[in-house]
Amino acid sequence: MKWTGQDTVVYEKAKEYVDTAVIPLLPVAGGKEQQESVLMGEFTQYLTEYLEKQYMGRVYLLPPFTYLKEESGEEKKNRLTAWAAHFEKHGFKYFLFVTADMQWRKINLEEAGELVWIPAFSVHDMEPGKRHQAIEQQAQQIIPLMTQQWT
Amino acid sequence: MSEKKHRVSRRQFLTYTLTGVGGFMAAGMLAPMVRMALDPALEAGADSDFVSIGLSEDELSEEPQRVDFTVELDDGWYQSEQTQSAWVFRNGDEVMALSPICTHLGCTVNWGTNEENPEEFFCPCHFGRFERDGTNIPGTPPTRPLDVYEVEVRDGMIYLGQINQRD
Ligand code: FES
Repeated sequence: MKWTGQDTVVYEKAKEYVDTAVIPLLPVAGGKEQQESVLMGEFTQYLTEYLEKQYMGRVYLLPPFTYLKEESGEEKKNRLTAWAAHFEKHGFKYFLFVTADMQWRKINLEEAGELVWIPAFSVHDMEPGKRHQAIEQQAQQIIPLMTQQWT
Repeated sequence: MSEKKHRVSRRQFLTYTLTGVGGFMAAGMLAPMVRMALDPALEAGADSDFVSIGLSEDELSEEPQRVDFTVELDDGWYQSEQTQSAWVFRNGDEVMALSPICTHLGCTVNWGTNEENPEEFFCPCHFGRFERDGTNIPGTPPTRPLDVYEVEVRDGMIYLGQINQRD
């Protein structure tokens, strides 16, 4: 499900079936690093939207968790853990954090959920059919991490 | 979640080509009324909605195969392409094309991915199951069969039209 009015209506009625939260982790930066951060963001968004589309009955795609590139690892971790704890209190059991930002690989999120790091590629200049295929291929790497938790 | 609602509004936009924000808003208010009045005409024009999936009739077997195809959407703001999928196979002497969207809560179903039930469609989300012709299997969460595409065979090639619900 998506973070939209329409989907929250469905969510209210089907809560017990929706137990997995997907949270994109997006670095934000201006200047020299802006281009890279946009590229990562766009890629991560396509990827998580694909996951949502395939698994919308069980997965809620939450708004992206954004942070300045210079924010310390500690701070980021605390904020993100607070997000997860909050939604856990409200009925979510599984958390999947999806990012293209290498920095997260050094941060231990095990207690909060599953971290998936996928190297980004530029998607905006791809022809839609190709893009769909490329995104699907990457998604196939992530999906088992999610569905394994369910069984 | 609501493929249905989207389809309706896209169709409205397709039908009434609109320019400008004012027209857009006015149409938003008028469209439901106009639509009721024009609906039969819309149905009759549905032919043009068929798209080729690049597969010929003799490439089909009894085993459902997944095809992805793109449809053009014009929602009044911009034109975009959307990828859709179908499970296509031969069912007796007709060609059947099922929507992969689980009728429980909308996850994507796959053919033969559940080891215990290889001859069924399986939904990974809450383990919904469907027979080959899309009939939902009692005791699993889905309460109605998978939706079907309208199918047309022209010169041996397969074309898919709109998606219909069955109960
Ligand atoms: S969405 Fe398919 S079984 Fe629930």
